[in-house]
Amino acid sequence: MSEVISYTNTLGGPAQIQVVDGKIRRIRPIVLREDDPKGWVIKARGQEFTPPRRVTMTALGLQDKDKCYAYDRLLYPLIREDFVETPDGKDRNTQNRGKSGYRRATWDEALGLVAREIKRVQDTYGKESVTACTGSHHSWGLVGYKLSAFKRFFNLLGYTQVLDNPDSWEGFHWGAAHVYGHYWRLGCPEPFDLLEDCLLNTDTLIFWSHDPDSTHSCYSANEGNIWRKWFKQLGISVIYVDPFVNFTAVKQGDKYITPRPGTDSAVLEAIAYVWLTEDTYDHEYVEQHVHRFQEWADHILGKGPDGVKKTPKWAEEISGVRAPVIKALARRWASTNTMGGSGVRVGWGGACRTDNGTDYSRLMVQLFAMQGMGKPGRNMWTANAGGPMDYNFWFGGYSDPRSTIANQPIADKTAVNCVEQKLYRATLPEAILDGHDEWDGDGFCGQSLEQQFNHHVYPLPGCSKVHLLYRYGGNFFGTMINTNRWGEMYQSPELEFTVSQDMHLTPEGKFCDVILPACTNLERTDIGEFCSSGNSGYASHGQTGNNWQVIVYQKKAIEPLGESRSDYWIFSQLAERLGFGQDYTEGRDEEGWCKRFWEFSDLSKRIGWEEFKERGYYIPGVPENWERRWAFRWFAEGTECKMVRDECMKEGKLGTRTGKIEFVSELLEEKEPDDPVRGPMAFYKPSREGYQSPLYEKYKLHLITPHPRFGFHTQYDQHNKWLWEVPEHRQVVEGMPYAIIRIHPKRAAERGIKDRDIVRVWNDRGEILCMAKITNRLEEHTVHLYGSSGMYEPTVPGERSPDKGGCANILTSPGMIGGRHIPGMTPNSTLVEMEVYKEPLVPGMVLNDLLAKANGEVK
Amino acid sequence: MRYGIAVNTENCMACYNCVMACKDEHCGFATAVSAPQPHEGQFWVNIRSKERGDDNRKVKTSNVAVLCSHCADPACARAAKNGAVVKREDGIVLIDPEKARGQKQIADACPIGAIYWNEEFQIPQKCTMCAHLLDEGYAQPRCVEACPNEALFFGDLDDPDSEVSRVIAANRATPLPPLAEEKTNVAYLNIPTVFLAGSVYLPGDETGEDPAEGAAVTLTCRETGAVTSVKTNYFGDWEAEWLTPNAHYDIRIELEGYQPVELSALTDTDHYVQETLLQK
Repeated sequence: MSEVISYTNTLGGPAQIQVVDGKIRRIRPIVLREDDPKGWVIKARGQEFTPPRRVTMTALGLQDKDKCYAYDRLLYPLIREDFVETPDGKDRNTQNRGKSGYRRATWDEALGLVAREIKRVQDTYGKESVTACTGSHHSWGLVGYKLSAFKRFFNLLGYTQVLDNPDSWEGFHWGAAHVYGHYWRLGCPEPFDLLEDCLLNTDTLIFWSHDPDSTHSCYSANEGNIWRKWFKQLGISVIYVDPFVNFTAVKQGDKYITPRPGTDSAVLEAIAYVWLTEDTYDHEYVEQHVHRFQEWADHILGKGPDGVKKTPKWAEEISGVRAPVIKALARRWASTNTMGGSGVRVGWGGACRTDNGTDYSRLMVQLFAMQGMGKPGRNMWTANAGGPMDYNFWFGGYSDPRSTIANQPIADKTAVNCVEQKLYRATLPEAILDGHDEWDGDGFCGQSLEQQFNHHVYPLPGCSKVHLLYRYGGNFFGTMINTNRWGEMYQSPELEFTVSQDMHLTPEGKFCDVILPACTNLERTDIGEFCSSGNSGYASHGQTGNNWQVIVYQKKAIEPLGESRSDYWIFSQLAERLGFGQDYTEGRDEEGWCKRFWEFSDLSKRIGWEEFKERGYYIPGVPENWERRWAFRWFAEGTECKMVRDECMKEGKLGTRTGKIEFVSELLEEKEPDDPVRGPMAFYKPSREGYQSPLYEKYKLHLITPHPRFGFHTQYDQHNKWLWEVPEHRQVVEGMPYAIIRIHPKRAAERGIKDRDIVRVWNDRGEILCMAKITNRLEEHTVHLYGSSGMYEPTVPGERSPDKGGCANILTSPGMIGGRHIPGMTPNSTLVEMEVYKEPLVPGMVLNDLLAKANGEVK
Repeated sequence: MRYGIAVNTENCMACYNCVMACKDEHCGFATAVSAPQPHEGQFWVNIRSKERGDDNRKVKTSNVAVLCSHCADPACARAAKNGAVVKREDGIVLIDPEKARGQKQIADACPIGAIYWNEEFQIPQKCTMCAHLLDEGYAQPRCVEACPNEALFFGDLDDPDSEVSRVIAANRATPLPPLAEEKTNVAYLNIPTVFLAGSVYLPGDETGEDPAEGAAVTLTCRETGAVTSVKTNYFGDWEAEWLTPNAHYDIRIELEGYQPVELSALTDTDHYVQETLLQK
């Protein structure tokens, strides 16, 4: 028996892997060694706070062995049975995509076909006729990531890039940024050193639309759990606001408030009313740092055009939150040092993914400004990042342009895309099906506020439409909106060829002509840091959500299963066939690239390459008197920011026109003074799809689809059967794991729905089947179903038909915040109806049949 | 030396780390002390969650990680033939997969349902406290190692200074009812009884009512005479935990300058009693 230890990063924390006789035996959290550095110590209120000497994982990360050996792993290249390689790209039975079976192919055959098709399409229509798009983080590592191996390949090839929409924080990106200008963090605030500030100075935390125990600061595993214990230890009052008494709130909330979805802005306005009438806001701060405060205050006090006072009673009638609760919240917020915000990165949360999400997000920032944002103990913070860190140690992370194999210095030559044409992910199906798309904004608008007004047209004049789609990792049925359209897009003959490259047979994979089996990052070598998006990226210093900064040499633990291969190998092979193999690899294998990340970072100043590889991970540690860079303190005090991202910050100014917090946006007033959705000033507007909308006559339940507790993006959910045994996630009936949808007892009783009934949930966009869970944890008109379903199982494969996978996003609204002008998704502005499903269930999963057929040829 | 686990249910978030670590360890793999666990269907540690409360203004969950309690005098051992169940000197109770073959009565004997029947192998299976790892020098079982919430503790119950002993001493012992009279090596702590809760408001102006902070709420149990006193917080909310189940409570709410209000409630289950509006 031979036992080998190695380390990796999962989406749920770094892990130690034990391999016995070539098979992964177990996957465990890293147990720190004696010679790893000491943990930081925060001294606050007579106590010392230091993290336990262990690195946490999530229940998902602990399943990475099972995910590697999962039943739906792709082990061989597959080609759609009825695909015909016609010379002109026509008559390829594209209408059967999503329905047809697959046959096993050799790598030679599959790669040869993909390379020939890329060449044919580009020769026929031009470089821009190939497009490719990616999910985020189907695995972890700086070599294999989409901005690295994938980007290097497609930039060298030349392709129409698909711009990502800021799908988790739409309202803050398109809204809040116009109030406080933090476009360099894509509309989210900064977290620096706020853990210490909170422990020292804060009395109250308000977690609005935030479930930290489920969303784990994105990739910070369970590192923040101990922080929340400290809050309790210090008597800090933690208040949760969410239509669902979420998993953190229900155990740890000192108070939970459940507004009707889409009415959060009304509650925020009423809080401001209390402060204005009771004179409990920070006048000095407002006078110094806020622009055009009085116009907005007049609106709140009923002196604006509508003449309505935004009293707690007014907000109660809209939101269902009782007036005394709003008053108590307002008074506590003003009378104590309060921090808070929305969701994972303070500027996230389901409440901002609504059609009035820009109002909510803007008002959130404005309220924190009224209470002196940046002063000790008063800030926007949701205990997600902001732990102590050595800011002078630089390693790099996935969104840092300096730490990708696509760019210098990691590569000798930067790979530049020669195609100017763009597509937009959220509306990709429309672009393909209609042959035309227009939208504003460059996707992630991290360079300026004006970038949000850049107008895009597809196809770009003089350019061809796209005819080849290459999908890399993940499943947009589960994360985009009104997603039956994605199936229709795949079946369009406009897409002459479709390729999927992934580890598992995903719902989108089933719509592709060729499926290339990638291996997991347990089967290939990579390098990466725990929860680091890169400290020059848009969400910089995410690893301060960890107690320990851990850089991992992600050594290949086992050989790739079946004939699966690493993403880098697949791209190298295609590049070779397309004539740019040497340019792609620069002669390096994966370990060679890993070494470059070590070489060009501070890691090489601390530890030798061989020693790092041998050790498996490195923890740089935090110096005893680490440098503090308190978030927004520089702004509150009018001094230079130590984390300068823009010239204005050197003068203590924000990125708005005036450098101040603009309660009336100068830029929006100039660009769109009469915009009905996002005018220059934020205020509550009823949801265009909500209980005050005409559609409510037909659909009486408001569906919210938060980020999942037992999945990460669309990963794990379909792959890991252990999750189907978690009663809060899925339950198997007749061989099909049905997703859990939560409904209030009153609404269930009206519909004769009992606990554990299979229900149909529908609106004009589609229909899904779920299992009902009756719970008092909901605002009573709300139904709750986690978004990001990893499954999509239409009862009639490949056709609009009831989806057994519980893919909530089939039902979510295609309406964007402001049409194509403010193209943010609004999945939490969705109305549905629900009833007991009375038809016989269709047993089993199509997925299994497909896999059996594909693998059957092997036997 | 007596190995034991403390389950502090108050801290359990139902994150399922323990469940997944256990499955990672045992599904499909035999160990020195156990046969492979089937990929699905068994939970050598399992989360039993209960929603508490009838109103979204006060709703809680109770999460209990249930595993073999490694009893001092195990019912499963009494039911076993051929010495198929052994209790080691360190307190760990093990089922010998060979000797236990065909002995379904071993699984049926467990008063808390912690033993599973493996149809394929025809054997009873359960938590081994990861004895195979402890014997190799591991510091703690997989479930305890994976717990990020200080809900599971492992150590020597004979040592009063061990972490697990200190946790048990410092918390409310709440044994699972079927094991209330048994001596076990797993201690369940802080499993709640029943709460009553409510809110108290004051008449306000056209902007709405006001919260009543600092109102005294006195709950008297008719059956036992026990008195529980709490005050409303800044939201005007009150809450009384650890009440006697299935009892009648008289509730009196008092705030200076306002007329007292009397209510009553039954602790058949957890209740949000009501919003109370005080009058001058």
